[in-house]
Amino acid sequence: MSHRSDTLPVPSGQRRGQVPRDHSIYIQLLEITLHLQQAMTEHFVQLTSRQGLSLEERRHTEAICEHEALLSRLICRMINLLQSGATSGLELQVPLPSEDSRGDVRYGQRAQLSGQPDPVPQLSDCEPAFVSRDLSNRGIDISVFYQSSFQDYNAYQKDKYHKDKNTLGFINLGTSENKLCMDLMTERLQQSDMNCIEDTLLQYPDWRGQPFLREEVARFLTYYCRAPTQLDPENVVVLNGYCSVFSALAMVLCDPGEGFLVPAPFYGGFAFSSRLYAKVELIPVHLESEVTVTNTHPFQLTVDKLEEALLEARLEGKKVRGLVLINPQNPLGDIYSPDSLMKYLEFAKRYNLHVIIDEIYMLSVFDESITFHSVLSMKSLPDSNRTHVIWGTSKDFGISGFRFGALYTHNKEVASAVSAFGYLHSISGIAQHKLCQLLQNTEWIDKVYLPTNCYRLREAHKYITAELKALEIPFHNRSSGLYVWINLKKYLDPCTFEEERLLYCRFLKNKLLLSCGKTYMCKEPGWFRLIFADELPRLKLAMRRFCDVLQEQKEALIVKQLEDAMRE
Amino acid sequence: MFTLPQKDFRAPTTCLGPTCTQDLGSSHGDDLEGECSRKLDQKLPELCGVGDPATISSDTSYLSSRGRMIKWFWDSAEEGYRTYHMDEYDEDKNPSGIINLGTSENKLCFDLLSWRLSQSDMQRVEPSLLQYADWRGHLFLREEVAKFLSFYCKSPVPLRPENVVVLNGGASLFSALATVLCEAGEAFLIPTPYYGAITQHMCLYGNVRLAYVYLDSEVTGLDTRPFQLTVEKLEMALREAHSEGIKVKGLILINPQNPLGDIYSLEELQEYLVFAKRLPDPQRTHVMWATSKDFGMSGLRFGTLYTENQDVATAVASLCRYHGLSGLVQYQMAQLLRDRDWINQVYLPENHARLKAAHTYVSEELRALGIPFLSRGAGFFIWVDLRKYLPKGTFEEEMLLWRRFLDNKVLLSFGKAFECKEPGWFRFVFSDQAHRLCLGMQRVRQVLAGKSQVAEDPRPSQSQEPSDQHSSGKHLKLWFSLGPPSLLLNKTRRVHMSPL
Repeated sequence: MSHRSDTLPVPSGQRRGQVPRDHSIYIQLLEITLHLQQAMTEHFVQLTSRQGLSLEERRHTEAICEHEALLSRLICRMINLLQSGATSGLELQVPLPSEDSRGDVRYGQRAQLSGQPDPVPQLSDCEPAFVSRDLSNRGIDISVFYQSSFQDYNAYQKDKYHKDKNTLGFINLGTSENKLCMDLMTERLQQSDMNCIEDTLLQYPDWRGQPFLREEVARFLTYYCRAPTQLDPENVVVLNGYCSVFSALAMVLCDPGEGFLVPAPFYGGFAFSSRLYAKVELIPVHLESEVTVTNTHPFQLTVDKLEEALLEARLEGKKVRGLVLINPQNPLGDIYSPDSLMKYLEFAKRYNLHVIIDEIYMLSVFDESITFHSVLSMKSLPDSNRTHVIWGTSKDFGISGFRFGALYTHNKEVASAVSAFGYLHSISGIAQHKLCQLLQNTEWIDKVYLPTNCYRLREAHKYITAELKALEIPFHNRSSGLYVWINLKKYLDPCTFEEERLLYCRFLKNKLLLSCGKTYMCKEPGWFRLIFADELPRLKLAMRRFCDVLQEQKEALIVKQLEDAMRE
Repeated sequence: MFTLPQKDFRAPTTCLGPTCTQDLGSSHGDDLEGECSRKLDQKLPELCGVGDPATISSDTSYLSSRGRMIKWFWDSAEEGYRTYHMDEYDEDKNPSGIINLGTSENKLCFDLLSWRLSQSDMQRVEPSLLQYADWRGHLFLREEVAKFLSFYCKSPVPLRPENVVVLNGGASLFSALATVLCEAGEAFLIPTPYYGAITQHMCLYGNVRLAYVYLDSEVTGLDTRPFQLTVEKLEMALREAHSEGIKVKGLILINPQNPLGDIYSLEELQEYLVFAKRLPDPQRTHVMWATSKDFGMSGLRFGTLYTENQDVATAVASLCRYHGLSGLVQYQMAQLLRDRDWINQVYLPENHARLKAAHTYVSEELRALGIPFLSRGAGFFIWVDLRKYLPKGTFEEEMLLWRRFLDNKVLLSFGKAFECKEPGWFRFVFSDQAHRLCLGMQRVRQVLAGKSQVAEDPRPSQSQEPSDQHSSGKHLKLWFSLGPPSLLLNKTRRVHMSPL
């Protein structure tokens, strides 16, 4: 087979698909740069393939490779800039399940670009963007998306704060992890009942999850969700993490390009999950912080807003297949009352929408005066065949490294289709045994773990909110989850997402990782999510850094205002 | 993994996504084969008790169209597995239950493994193991994997932990690689017969297809053995795929081969790699290995990728969020792989001795029955030629014979599940406890005795058993027996690993 020129990979080739639509200067530049990049790559391949054996020649080749790396980094940055320029003017186009092989990728990207160009603003723009001649276009898309989303997290992983060994390292108040009960969990998982190695644990499992674990999950959810009748293990599917459950659900409920409504702000991980494999669009139902006649509390979700968003999406030609609800809400910490929950479910039933309810924080309600009502506690569901509940141990038990997520659905068809993903998202039998033991021991959970966890969460929450009050920073969430949703609008001038990003970078430079509102598709710039489920000494240090940054920011704003005044 | 009465992995391939419209299988088969599989398709809904995808009404379904295909696929492919699980053989509780000689699992060394995994070094719990970690896998595990592979694959230079990505099993790895290396609708070449479940792993998320390189049992031309893979056959399949308008992005090699048990010589491997270099894209080699087979722990869910290509490693790692493995299990895996003394002095010798004994038993049984088979000293299965029991030699008959085995409570895998071109081949897994194996073979004999009246001219045995020729290359053999269930060979630009 000869080298066929028509099959030469064009890096980021999917972007070329946009060319005929708009001949702005950016697009033309982009195209030229892509050609340049390809020519350059080929040139370097030629240069380096001539390598000889002598040390000198090898050194020479190494130097060439370094140049190649440098040049490709620069070109990648150009391409990225051009892409953002080229697409910023484009309206979100009607998503159609595309016929050509790249369609779904392009679609996912377009949605991303128009809705939310940057899932997590980056520390610096110097990091090389990802363009490769070895990957498929969707492979490139996945890599770029991952790197832009997790770049700062990875920086944190490499330079974590440690009270003795690395006092200048990053403190992470951005990733939602509960680090308050590590002592309890470590002790519990070391007990002898956890260590069991049996033949069946080492053999191919039931891909839906081992029967003993699914039975335990059904019992556990029956008890903690106060289900009116015993839940059925046959309706449980167990996978390695709730993102996997969400991804599998998106695959089997939607075709590429179809969408789910999600009240925004919402957990950014869903955008990631729906995009990587499933190519499903998350359509935000924008909520507002301002309290008005109809908006009786900040970020209130009402059926009117759902109706409006659905109508709008349909007018744009989008096919909406479902509604995603997070209860307790992430990042708001709101808990839906049974009445409102029922209204949302009835809304979904009216339009034949599936409802995916994420209850991953259901046991992390630390305000004792508030009762959480699981959707599984309802006597009758408006549309039980379209109601699917996700839960996992990552948040409520603080063991995100364990990789466990569960789906509960009354719909056998959905359970069966999701089961097929067990091949790709299964959990080690040994871990399944440990999870089963953990969930089984309700006495320990009720008497030891939950009271301690709630107490510690409450204390950490008390500390953080007192600090915020002292700084006169408005915040949201008084009852549940591991986070507070804070408003730093007053530190932004002008109040834009770009300024939000810059403030985020300022935190990062001071080795403090937070998440900003943009990641949650929040409509209003200036909101941040701050995790407080961390040990007090670390939390205190984090708040010191937090104050320093805000002080710095305040001073910078004054300087800027002065400069502006002088210019006038 | 189970490869049962899948009607045809083709169905979902054609319908999973909007981009896949061609029937891959029949576009590669000759007319006869196409004819056979069409017949099979018509027959299957009735046989397997699930509807044909075309008959599933979209009006009554809660699923998306790809969801319906996935479900249909799951229901049908898992049918045999489920039948087995509902009626599993147990010496005391269910002596008339089904014996499973179909699933490729090594059940011979659970005693050793459960002892090792119960040692106190395995029980470590610490906060970092319980929290989010590097999605590529904990560094301590990737270091151990690199050392392990360097040693057992005899790599000329130490392998590097940066090139290792750890996932929850080989299936996930196939899925992730397919997704990042191919667009939807593009294909990998794969020699058949092959481990059929790969089809599903490639298409579930990735919607990537397989283009078959059909191999024959007959030894012709330059072939020196049945089902021999040659570069000519690869070239031909590639040309054919091109003429069908299918874009081929790579080649998948399984070494030792499943179900043939063939081991590629270094020269052969080199030839295939040279061939792959001429695929449209610059070439890359990616090696997969997992503990499912070599350590008989398919339920543990541990698979690993070794690739020098950082772009590929990073892209696969981007998907690892969805294919992660519990931190505690990662720790245990590192401990296991680190324990070279136990592996070399206890586990491997014992495992090989037990495999050999079981292999000897089954091959003698087959020889006594005058049944030809292939088995070249690797893996824990024998590729058995039951063609003489099919009067018309069709896939329909193959399926009926498979059913008859199942009705007589022994589960096997049939050749169609491996996309074998010739009807009548079955895979027998022999790595099971002696009493179950004996009973299984007894049930096989019963079925064949009731059916063997058509046997007229027993073919000469094609048995090619492990012979002393292999012991000269003991290290080689070691690598291969530890070899991955799959060596996914793809575009290589710089280095040709041999194999690593």
